[in-house]
Amino acid sequence: MFQEFFYQLRDYGIPVRPTDFLRLQRALDGGLVQNLNDFYTVARTVMVKSERFFDIYDQVFAHFFEGKDIDLQTLDDLNAEMERLLAEWLADPENMPNLTDEEREALKNMDPDQVMEYFKERLKDQTERHDGGNRWIGTGGRSPVGHGGVHPNGMRVGGQGRNRSAIKVAMDRRFIDYNDNLMLTPEKIGEALARLRNLTPSGPRDQLDVDASIRETVKQGGEIELIFDKRLIDKLKVYIMIDNGGWSMTPYVHLTRSLFTYAKSQFKDVKFFYFHNCIYDVLYEDPMRYEKPVKTLDLMRKDPDTRVIILGDASMSPYELTHPRGAIDYGTPQSQPGIMWIRKVKETFNNTIWINPIPKHEWDYTYGAYTVELIRQQIPMFELSLRGLEEAVDELKAKYPKPLPPLERQAAR
Amino acid sequence: MSEHLKDELEFTGTDTYVLDDELAKVVNTAIKLELPLLLKGEPGTGKTLLAHAVAQNLGTDLLILNVKSSMKAVEALYQYDTLTRLNDSRFGDSSRNVSNIEDYIRMGKIGQSFTTDKKVVLLIDEIDKADSDFQDDLLDVLDIMQFDIQEIDKTVKAKNRPIVIITSNAKKDLSDPFLGRCVFHHIAFPDEEMMREIVKAHFPSVSQKLAEGAIEVFYRLRQVAGIEKKPATRELLHWIRALSTDPQFDVKHLKAKAPLPLLGLLFKKSDDLSRAQRVSLSGF
Repeated sequence: MFQEFFYQLRDYGIPVRPTDFLRLQRALDGGLVQNLNDFYTVARTVMVKSERFFDIYDQVFAHFFEGKDIDLQTLDDLNAEMERLLAEWLADPENMPNLTDEEREALKNMDPDQVMEYFKERLKDQTERHDGGNRWIGTGGRSPVGHGGVHPNGMRVGGQGRNRSAIKVAMDRRFIDYNDNLMLTPEKIGEALARLRNLTPSGPRDQLDVDASIRETVKQGGEIELIFDKRLIDKLKVYIMIDNGGWSMTPYVHLTRSLFTYAKSQFKDVKFFYFHNCIYDVLYEDPMRYEKPVKTLDLMRKDPDTRVIILGDASMSPYELTHPRGAIDYGTPQSQPGIMWIRKVKETFNNTIWINPIPKHEWDYTYGAYTVELIRQQIPMFELSLRGLEEAVDELKAKYPKPLPPLERQAAR
Repeated sequence: MSEHLKDELEFTGTDTYVLDDELAKVVNTAIKLELPLLLKGEPGTGKTLLAHAVAQNLGTDLLILNVKSSMKAVEALYQYDTLTRLNDSRFGDSSRNVSNIEDYIRMGKIGQSFTTDKKVVLLIDEIDKADSDFQDDLLDVLDIMQFDIQEIDKTVKAKNRPIVIITSNAKKDLSDPFLGRCVFHHIAFPDEEMMREIVKAHFPSVSQKLAEGAIEVFYRLRQVAGIEKKPATRELLHWIRALSTDPQFDVKHLKAKAPLPLLGLLFKKSDDLSRAQRVSLSGF
């Protein structure tokens, strides 16, 4: 029973497991479920294992038990809507209504097939999440396409359900705050810190300290005393390289700085460096990027075990990355294209990651999509959200971090 | 109800633990499916208290394993007291038999829950404190409900499957295989109506006015922007207890544009405290 519900949960990105589905059947057999309210609770407690998915669960539940046959209807809607949009776009690409400037920019650079794909994706996304599909611009949705992201005003089912209460509960969306792919804000800094804690070595005190044990035993006149110590693991060194060039980066610079300044005691060493848009021959220790230049090459002679975190929106003009003299600021010392410097950093410091304040689902459509992609090919990139940080920490800790791909000629054009 | 799920135990709440239907259903699902229940939620929302309430309600004992960061899984199962044995062998003045290792095996909390004659409630509190090895090691034990004592080559099997409740404060998820073997619930922060009931359950004698006023102020304080550690149910209960025993306190103080009394009980971080004081001065 309810296989379809199970698969819908899966489709919407909740990692539900077959064993849990079987457990749900046991619960159903066992008479734990007498009505829809029971089903709502029992199915959730058995199958959904994190509160971050509760919100999506609520939405799928409301959708499923609203009794609407989504498949056929939306498909038809989709096609009809598609045609209309395309016609509209072809007629007047410059002034298509309901588009933000960003989207217009993005569309300009696509060929018709891509545009088609773009609309299709977008429509699918909207119609799946919203009821019917006649509201193809989500009222509050700011991402153009984006999978898996939950739109602030997502569900539009509403109306008369046969079993109102559970559905009503589901539609309240009580759990939206737990959805952790929301971007980082100053209030969440404590949580973010907690995730960084995983970067520090910890573990049981299970190594026998022989010298200390003998000393203590002798002190106590032969009464044996065993002293255990933590396994020796070195604290990490961290370099943080921050793009503090454009105004768009300002709030995140502050956020990241305070994050790592708080966390300083956990690391052996935390150092900040600044650059504008891309790393070149020189980085600066002062945020004004003037007084304390450091040669990037000098940094590379430091301990290769240092973890490097680069914070930047990775959005720039392509030539800033690929041209040997492409730096945006006139007079920036530069001997090689920026992309080569980025590769060098990753080559030297294996555990290098890039944190991007632009939400991940916008990376393909932001104005700097080209350079974002180019940099992502070299360095693992994560968004500045709680989940992004968590993944970033895993990559920073990784024994075998993602290797640098071989150089493509075309990249260094 | 069908036979193959045990349904003689049903949890219905206690005098001091206010239970919503959802949570009751979750607890009973865990009991009937015989799976550990993993509880998450803001600190101070009653995760630990729930285990106490379940034990009280079912009329059975509660065993608490307080997880520490340095803990190893085997400590939760049993301990082989080598030091005592060494001492006994040298001085030989104890009633234990030095050549019998079993005399020096002590059961940990999980071991105890397996060996008692009753079906007990086992609370594994704040499992997120230990590292993931600990969690994974416990997994198998709780799944098959047995473990080996290596030193004496003996297997301990659970006489009665304990009802296992695990709490975690972490925002981070536990490992996948672990989650695969639990049922999960997240205790949401109670709304005002629920909170009134909770306060009433804990302080039946406190005046309606005080309780109402305090709860109202409390929810407004929780909404102050920029607070890092929001006060939870536990803090509110402490605050109300303090207010109700403070002879100088008058309910009017909650409404006045004056510093709120005893705010230190709600806010434990100095930044938060000063922010809350500032806000309360301006009358929100």
